[in-house]
Amino acid sequence: MIKRLVLGEAGIGVALVVLAGFFVIAAPNFATEQNLRNIMTQITLNTVLAVGMTFVILVGGIDLSVGSAMALCAVVSGTMMAGSHSAVTLLGAILVSVLVGGAVGWINGFVSEQWRVPSFIVTLAMLNVARGAAERYTDAATIYNLPAALNDFGTITLLGVPAVFWVALLLAGIGWFVLSRTVFGRLIYATGNNEEAVRLSGHKTSRIKIAAFMIAGLTVGIAAVLYMARLNIASPILGQGYELNAIAAVVIGGASLMGGRGSMAGTFLGACLLGVLTNGLLLMGVSDFERQIITGLVILVAVVLDAYRLRLARKLAVTQPAKEPVPAAVAS
Amino acid sequence: MNKKIVAVAGLALALTACGKEGGTAAEPAAAPKPGEKPGVCLVMKSLANEFFQQMQKGAEEHAAKRGDLTLSVVGIQNETDIDNQVAAVEKCVTQQAKAIVIAPADSRALVAPLKRAVDAGVKVVNIDVQLEEGAMKAAGIGDKVPFVGPDNREGAKQSGMELAKAVGKDAEVVILEGNPGAANAAQRKAGFEDAVKEGGLKLVDSKTAHWETNEAHTVFSNMLTAHPNIKGVLAGNDNMALGALKAIDEQGKKGQIKVASFDNIPAIAQYVKDGTVVSTLDQYGAQQAANGIDYAMKMIGGENFSGWQKTEIKLITKDNLG
Repeated sequence: MIKRLVLGEAGIGVALVVLAGFFVIAAPNFATEQNLRNIMTQITLNTVLAVGMTFVILVGGIDLSVGSAMALCAVVSGTMMAGSHSAVTLLGAILVSVLVGGAVGWINGFVSEQWRVPSFIVTLAMLNVARGAAERYTDAATIYNLPAALNDFGTITLLGVPAVFWVALLLAGIGWFVLSRTVFGRLIYATGNNEEAVRLSGHKTSRIKIAAFMIAGLTVGIAAVLYMARLNIASPILGQGYELNAIAAVVIGGASLMGGRGSMAGTFLGACLLGVLTNGLLLMGVSDFERQIITGLVILVAVVLDAYRLRLARKLAVTQPAKEPVPAAVAS
Repeated sequence: MNKKIVAVAGLALALTACGKEGGTAAEPAAAPKPGEKPGVCLVMKSLANEFFQQMQKGAEEHAAKRGDLTLSVVGIQNETDIDNQVAAVEKCVTQQAKAIVIAPADSRALVAPLKRAVDAGVKVVNIDVQLEEGAMKAAGIGDKVPFVGPDNREGAKQSGMELAKAVGKDAEVVILEGNPGAANAAQRKAGFEDAVKEGGLKLVDSKTAHWETNEAHTVFSNMLTAHPNIKGVLAGNDNMALGALKAIDEQGKKGQIKVASFDNIPAIAQYVKDGTVVSTLDQYGAQQAANGIDYAMKMIGGENFSGWQKTEIKLITKDNLG
């Protein structure tokens, strides 16, 4: 089991180490404590969103609405807590953010399952609906004056690690546990691999898929709270393009967009890789335009390498079926 | 592709022809007939932006106060949706508006459709982002379309000079730029650079954060890592300033790093008050469209304007914070 896991994410892990090594040499101040903290803060949101996205992608879906939904969660919750000093209001607003996210996720899942519409289309529609709703809700104004307690949480560190990143780590840990240690996790993989077989074995696959979208929605609600904690504002235009970063992290982490293949560890490493890349390039003083090109190329290379790795693994599995450890990807 | 363009152009021609017919009937009487208010079309950029929302609200209130025109407002989804804005201009011409007041999504792409409007006898006033002079001249409307708006470069320079005063000569500063390619972003950057030169500051980095808070936070934290001695930030808008402020806070450098900004949105006021933001600039965004409408009405009345009609800007500091 351990061997499989290691082989599965080995590629991306090596890439991350090589990249970090390169920046240690090439980028001034990259390997400082403060910069490591910066990277952790900077990858927090994408990590949280990518955790939820992993579930959706594993069941063969996609969620393009996460950036917009995050803005909706933030403005609804932000309006509620703005100007308030009460802890009850703050906790209530946080809960509301998570609930709004969960509701959006449920709608995404329910609509695509009930009417058999590809989730690509449903969530593309939701991308527009949620963004429009967020803008309408606030008349496009930026919400400020959020509770000081939330702001403090966005700034403090525990054991040298930003508190917001602990939340991301915790969510990734829970996600890893659910996917690899529970029956529900097994069903998620199985649904992505062979939905028909799961259905014939007596499970309601549409429920499993709706649950995956709801999990993504819950992480969106949490990400919205973390955004407000970090930046002390809520804006209806926040989160544009975040869905693509989250998808990129999951795919770099070795997941297949066809479903059934991928892992939480891979996703986490994918988010780290993207964050380290952006951070290092900025420190090196690479221009904005070149940075975009390089980020795009890295995504491409990661996916191509992964395809090679998979082919190699298949070959090994065919020639030496018993001896070679088969990557989790193929086995599950 | 070419065929499509020809088809669209043909259609537009047909439309402008209609517009002319409608126009000539009313034009001899320079002043509109009593009881018949001239239609003015306000073509906005993104309505999903607080700044443009305020601008629209200001225009609607102003039109209601004037009472001598019928205002219709058209907006587009986001600031880069050029196609839809072209369609909006064409719609205004079709509906025989007497004037179009436009905040162009692109300083070149809108010139051609606006020329068709001018040819159809519609008065055009340019607000917010200035249309490119060369393109206007080439289209032959260089002397027919005035630009009514603030001097972004001058404003950014004023804001930047406040920072120079606060941090002193030779202090390291950085610029957070707006969207690459946007004219106001380029002008603000140029104004900041003027201030850097004049104030003897040392510019160590300049990058875009696409007007956005979270990106500004990321970009600025990294700038701070690469250049730990940064003493000042020149932010192209307040939303980016908010991101930089949070990064300053996180790295425990509050009080050591000052910010100069632009826009004067409500969220920035508390930081101006506590002195972290030394200055921001109010360019009376809400008034811009209203100013444009005033010029449009004068032009409908027979006056001619061209070139840059500068509008009021105001430097906001701790001392005059409203």
